[in-house]
Amino acid sequence: MAAGLQLVFGVQRILNLACGSFYALGAYAGVSAVTWALGVGLPAPLFVLVLLAAGLALAVIGPPVERIVRTIYERDESFQLLLTFALVLMFEDVIRFVWGTAPHQTGSVYLVYGQLRLGGSTVPVYNLIVIAAGGLIALGMGWLLARTRFGRIVRATAENREMAEALGVDLTRVSVRVFTLGVALGTVGGALVIPATAATNEMGIELIVDAFAVVVIGGLGSMRGAFVGALIVGVLKAGAVATWPEVEMLAVYVVVIAVLVLRPAGLFARATA
Amino acid sequence: MTTTRRQFLALTGAASAAAAWRLDTAPAFAQSGPVKIGVLAAKAGVLAPVGESGLRGVSWATDRINAAGGILGRKIELVVEEESSPKDTVERFRKLVLSDKVDVVSGAVSTGVGLALGPVAEEMKAIWLAWDATTQKGVEETMPRPRYAFRSTDNECEAVMASILTAKSWKGKFRTVAGINPDYSYGRDNWAAFLAIMKKYGIDVQVVSELWPKLGATDFTAHVAALQQAKPDLIFSCFWAGDTPIFMKQAHAAGLTAGTRFVLTTGGGVHESLKKAFTPEGALLGYNSMYFEHPKASPLMKDFVRWHQEKFKEWPNYESDHGYFTIAAYRAAVERAAKAGGGKWPAQDAVIQALEGIEVESLSGPRRFREDHIMEATFFQGVTTHRNRHDFVTIDPVESMGTKQIQKPTGVGLYDWISSWKV
Repeated sequence: MAAGLQLVFGVQRILNLACGSFYALGAYAGVSAVTWALGVGLPAPLFVLVLLAAGLALAVIGPPVERIVRTIYERDESFQLLLTFALVLMFEDVIRFVWGTAPHQTGSVYLVYGQLRLGGSTVPVYNLIVIAAGGLIALGMGWLLARTRFGRIVRATAENREMAEALGVDLTRVSVRVFTLGVALGTVGGALVIPATAATNEMGIELIVDAFAVVVIGGLGSMRGAFVGALIVGVLKAGAVATWPEVEMLAVYVVVIAVLVLRPAGLFARATA
Repeated sequence: MTTTRRQFLALTGAASAAAAWRLDTAPAFAQSGPVKIGVLAAKAGVLAPVGESGLRGVSWATDRINAAGGILGRKIELVVEEESSPKDTVERFRKLVLSDKVDVVSGAVSTGVGLALGPVAEEMKAIWLAWDATTQKGVEETMPRPRYAFRSTDNECEAVMASILTAKSWKGKFRTVAGINPDYSYGRDNWAAFLAIMKKYGIDVQVVSELWPKLGATDFTAHVAALQQAKPDLIFSCFWAGDTPIFMKQAHAAGLTAGTRFVLTTGGGVHESLKKAFTPEGALLGYNSMYFEHPKASPLMKDFVRWHQEKFKEWPNYESDHGYFTIAAYRAAVERAAKAGGGKWPAQDAVIQALEGIEVESLSGPRRFREDHIMEATFFQGVTTHRNRHDFVTIDPVESMGTKQIQKPTGVGLYDWISSWKV
C-alpha cells in the first residue's frame, strides 16, 4: 500500500538523500495543520485538503535548499551524497527543535471515511484515497514531463545540459523549479501518509533505505522505473510479512542484488546511462 | 598528515598537564555540596515518551525531597544525559561518573542499553538504578551477580500477568492465536512466555500467525493484511510505545477489531493515544506497574497525578513510577545507612548494603529491591472500557498482581519457573 507513495520519491531521487527529510517535514507539518484545522472547527472529512495544502505550502523551502545544493552540481557524486546527508541530519534536528522528540499523530481522522469491503477483506477508504492520489500524481508527472513545454525543457536539460543552455534555456531557473517540484512531491507524500501512522524523528532516514532499493531496482532517474520499483518493493515486503516474516528486508535486497548483477543500470534505465 | 616528534611531545605534554590540573582541582570534600544524581533519559524515537515519563517521576521526587530539606541536609542536583544507542549511552554514563562525579545514576529503559551499562557500572563501581531495560536473554551473562547495578522488574512480568488473566477469563473462548510483537528479545520472550503459560493452563492453542515488525516500525498495513488472512480468535501483542496506537488504528480500519480478542500486555504505557475511536472495549490492556486512575490510589499518587496533569496536560504512565522509586529508594538507603553509621554521610558500600532489601512507598504502592538487586512492585491490568471522561480507553475493573506472583524468583530461569507452576 505504501508503494503508491514511494513512487513519489523514486521520481526525483537522483542521489538526493534529503528527500527523506522533505517527507518527514511534510508529515510533521501535516499533523500540525490537521490538529489546528480540527481545532478551529473544520469538518473532519475535509482534512485531506488540509494535508495537501500543508504539503504544498512546505514546498517553499525548495528554492533556498536548492541554492545550497547548487554548489555541488558539477562535483563528484560522493559530494552530493555527503551534502544531502548533512541536510538530512540538519533537518532531523530542525524537526526535533520545532516539534520535539515524541511521535506525533492525528488522532482518529484516519477513520472518518470508513471502510470498504472488497472481496472478503476490509480496506480503509483512506488507503484507497492515498493510492488514487499516488496514481494521479504519477499521471500528472507523466503529463507534465511528456506533454508540456516545461517538461520538454526539463527533459532536454537532463539529456544535455550544455546544448540546452546554448539554445537559451535558463538553467538556474529550471534547476530551482525541478528541485522545488521534487520537494513538493516529498512533502505532499509525507503529509498524505500521516493519518495512518505517526510522525517520528527518524522517519526520514528510514524512508531513504527503502527509496534506495526502489531507485536501484527501477533505474536512476526513470519515472517508470520508480513506479515499478516502488511496486516491487511494496509487494515484496507485504508478501514476505504474510508468508515468512523473517525475510522481509532480505527479500528486497536479494532483488536489489539480482538487478545489480543482471541489469546494473536498473530495469528501466535509459540507454545512455 | 604526519605528526613530527616535536608536535607529539608538545601534545602529550599538554595532555598530562591538563590531567594533573584536573587532579589538583578535584573537590576535596565531595560530601558537603549537593548530592549529584545522574539521569539517563531517552529523548528521541520510540523511546522518547518513555524516557520523558521516567524523567518526570525523577524530577518530581527530587523537588519533593529538596523542598523537605534534601537527603541528610544535602540538596539533590540532577545531571540529565540522553539515553540513545548502547555505545553512546555507555560514554555518557562514563561522563556522568568521571566528569560530573555523580553519586548514583538513575535511568535507562532499552534492554540493549541496559545490557551494555550493567558491566560498565560494575567496572566503574558506580551505583546504577535502572528504570527498565531487563529482558531474559543476556542479563544473566552480563550481570551475573551485580554489585552496583540495581535492576527493574523483569520485562516479562506484564506478559506473565496478561497470560494468566487470559487463561483464567477466556479459557475455552479462543483457539487460534496470532502474535504481533517487536522483533527483539523483549517481543520474542513475551510471546514465548505467553505460549508456555497457555500450555501450562492446558489451553490447546493453534498459532496461525507470528509477526515480528522491527522495533519502531510505523507502518503495519502488511502485518494487518496477514492477520486478516489468518483470522485468529485472539491477537497477542506486547507493543509498548507509539507502535501500539498505530497498529490498533490500522487494525481497526481493516475491520480486525470487530470479532477478535486483543491482549495488549503493555499498551497502557501510551494509554492516552489509545483513542476510543479505534481501540475496542473488551480488550485486555496492561499498564505495567502503575495505573493512573486507580480507584484506590494513595494520596501520594493522587498528588503526582494532579501535578502531572496540571503541568503537562497529560495523565502519567508507569515509567514515572520507576523513576520516582529509584530516587525515593536511594534517599531511604542513604538515610538508613547513615543511621547505622552514626549519622555521617555513608560510604558507597554502606549505601549498596542499605539498598538491598529496602522498601519504600512508591506512587503505586510499596516497592522494594530484592537482595539480588531486582525490583518488586505491583502490576495493573484490566479489560478496556469506553465509559469514562476521557477520549481514550481505560480499564474496569482494575486487576492487580504482585511480582511475587508474576516474576521469577532468584536464580531460576523464566521457562523453568513457569513449568514448575501448579495450576
